[in-house]
Amino acid sequence: MQPSNNKLPSAGFLLGKSGAYTVLIVGLVATLLPFFYIIVSSLKTDAELRKTPPDFFPQEPTFQHYTTILTDDRIPIERNVMNSVIISLARVAITLFTSSYAGYIFAKYHFKGKNLAFGAILIQIMIPFQVVMIPNYLLVVRFGLIDSLWALIVPSMVDAFGIFLMKQFIESLPAELMDAARIDGASEFGIYSRIVLPQMGPPLASLGIFTFMYTWNDYLWPLIVLTTPEKRTIPLLLVWFQTQHSSNLGLVLAASILTLLPIFFVYIFVQRWIVDQATQSAFR
Amino acid sequence: MAVSISSLFKKEVVGDGGKLMAGQRRFAYTSLVPILLYMGLFTLFPITFAMVMSFFSYSPIRDGSGFLDLGGANPFVGVANYIELFTGTGKPAEVFRLAVKNTFLFTALVLPLNLLVTLPLAVVLESIGERFKTFFRAIYFLPTISSSVAVVIIWEYMYAPGWGLLSLMFKAVGLVPPKSWLSDPSTIYFGVPLAMICVVVAHVWQDFGYNLVIFVAALQSIPKTLREAARVDGANVWQEFWLIVVPLLRRTVLLTSVLTVISSLQVFVIFQLLSRGGPQNQTQTLVLSIYENAFRFANNVGLASAMSMILFIIILILTVVQFRILRTEWEY
Repeated sequence: MQPSNNKLPSAGFLLGKSGAYTVLIVGLVATLLPFFYIIVSSLKTDAELRKTPPDFFPQEPTFQHYTTILTDDRIPIERNVMNSVIISLARVAITLFTSSYAGYIFAKYHFKGKNLAFGAILIQIMIPFQVVMIPNYLLVVRFGLIDSLWALIVPSMVDAFGIFLMKQFIESLPAELMDAARIDGASEFGIYSRIVLPQMGPPLASLGIFTFMYTWNDYLWPLIVLTTPEKRTIPLLLVWFQTQHSSNLGLVLAASILTLLPIFFVYIFVQRWIVDQATQSAFR
Repeated sequence: MAVSISSLFKKEVVGDGGKLMAGQRRFAYTSLVPILLYMGLFTLFPITFAMVMSFFSYSPIRDGSGFLDLGGANPFVGVANYIELFTGTGKPAEVFRLAVKNTFLFTALVLPLNLLVTLPLAVVLESIGERFKTFFRAIYFLPTISSSVAVVIIWEYMYAPGWGLLSLMFKAVGLVPPKSWLSDPSTIYFGVPLAMICVVVAHVWQDFGYNLVIFVAALQSIPKTLREAARVDGANVWQEFWLIVVPLLRRTVLLTSVLTVISSLQVFVIFQLLSRGGPQNQTQTLVLSIYENAFRFANNVGLASAMSMILFIIILILTVVQFRILRTEWEY
């Protein structure tokens, strides 16, 4: 018989408490060591970076690579960061609107063909991006959007998965409130904007953060549709660094840290929502 | 949150007439139709167009005749693209077949390695106090939110030949590190090229956070009463784990495995930038082939579309499996 225990000893206690923490800390080191190593290396001077075997820590830490990136006129990093910010925010705003609006209609209205329409949404969730990227590229060319930031916004204004998530949430909202508003003379759109939307904080936050991260890190689609250096987004700038400055390792490392930092900073505040969203997306 | 496919085909109950209902229906249609049309333009039309193009010898730089440049200089070739891909001797076809093999090899390595890391870690993580749990989980999720391009740069540095951190670690424990991690085609362990192993490790490092949080959530959703009941019946910790936790986790593991396979088949960035498909096409994959044939070489869009259709069919089959698992009703 196990001694009775007020906190239920779960399976992890097979290893005992110290065993459990040992496993967790090994995992922690394996996760953080690669990040940590490029952070300390980005502070090394060029001479130190070339040293073999290298020292783990820089002897004379310097921010020279960071200042070069931020001040050199040939590196349009400010422009590229702006592009990423603009596109990410635009996509978040548009996705949140279209997803919640369509989700509201699917959740709260009855009309002919609804199941068929929703089936079409589910089918789109299953279609991988790589399968439609060629025709989407041809479409974008035909619309004259190639090598323009619009090419990153226009094709992704409606997110099937977002609609699906929002519908699930709105279905759980009580209909009485909407009926009451209707009796008071509210328009159908007014019910959406004034009754439904204000109650959707948490799911909108999750979807918004997820869309932001996805757009910020997206690489393949921008790679296909953008060519001008000034139009590049952050991941394309990084790749340009990786290929053009491969001899200048310090710059490449510092550039990747600079692009990771904003996301990590946002993440500190929103990690709970991200984890929720990741968990939900698995059980869609 | 399971989706029941069968519910899609049930007859929708539509309330009878009435001015109010008619107004609501009109609102629903006028709102939804533009959204659906838009979606159709950028998803349903492209998938159809990709399918059509796969039966043509198509290149957007040629001016075809007729609808969407199909025909004329871009002639209909029937299933020739598919026959070429499966049996042809052209360079793209031969690389493609290798790429399919590599993609499956990659997936077959990623899935067990991922589960081997995430399952024990989730079990351990679930057992500790709330505060530390949140902390560790947040850290483990960091690589997942990182840009894949940054992940490539990090691992390129880790794998730097001779003096990269991994080489140094090998030397520190008395092992001889490989001369070159990513570019030596002759180093093969158990039939798996070293470059492929390197890509697998980097990908699992980036990706394990997803499955981890899913497994932790699944473990947390196992009702305490079940465990208490087992305890009252005299089960010890091991019995509780194998007889209560493992069976209840089975469905989640199955589902997560299918999702991991689906996402592994679509990995692009680290193949394109870390190993660059090489050495000697040892890390050439299906998605990389689609990209290269459509956008890098020769604008061989017809052939690339046929490749993307093959990818689509593979993923469709897996998605059907996923839905079947989701449909099995489960109650704790």
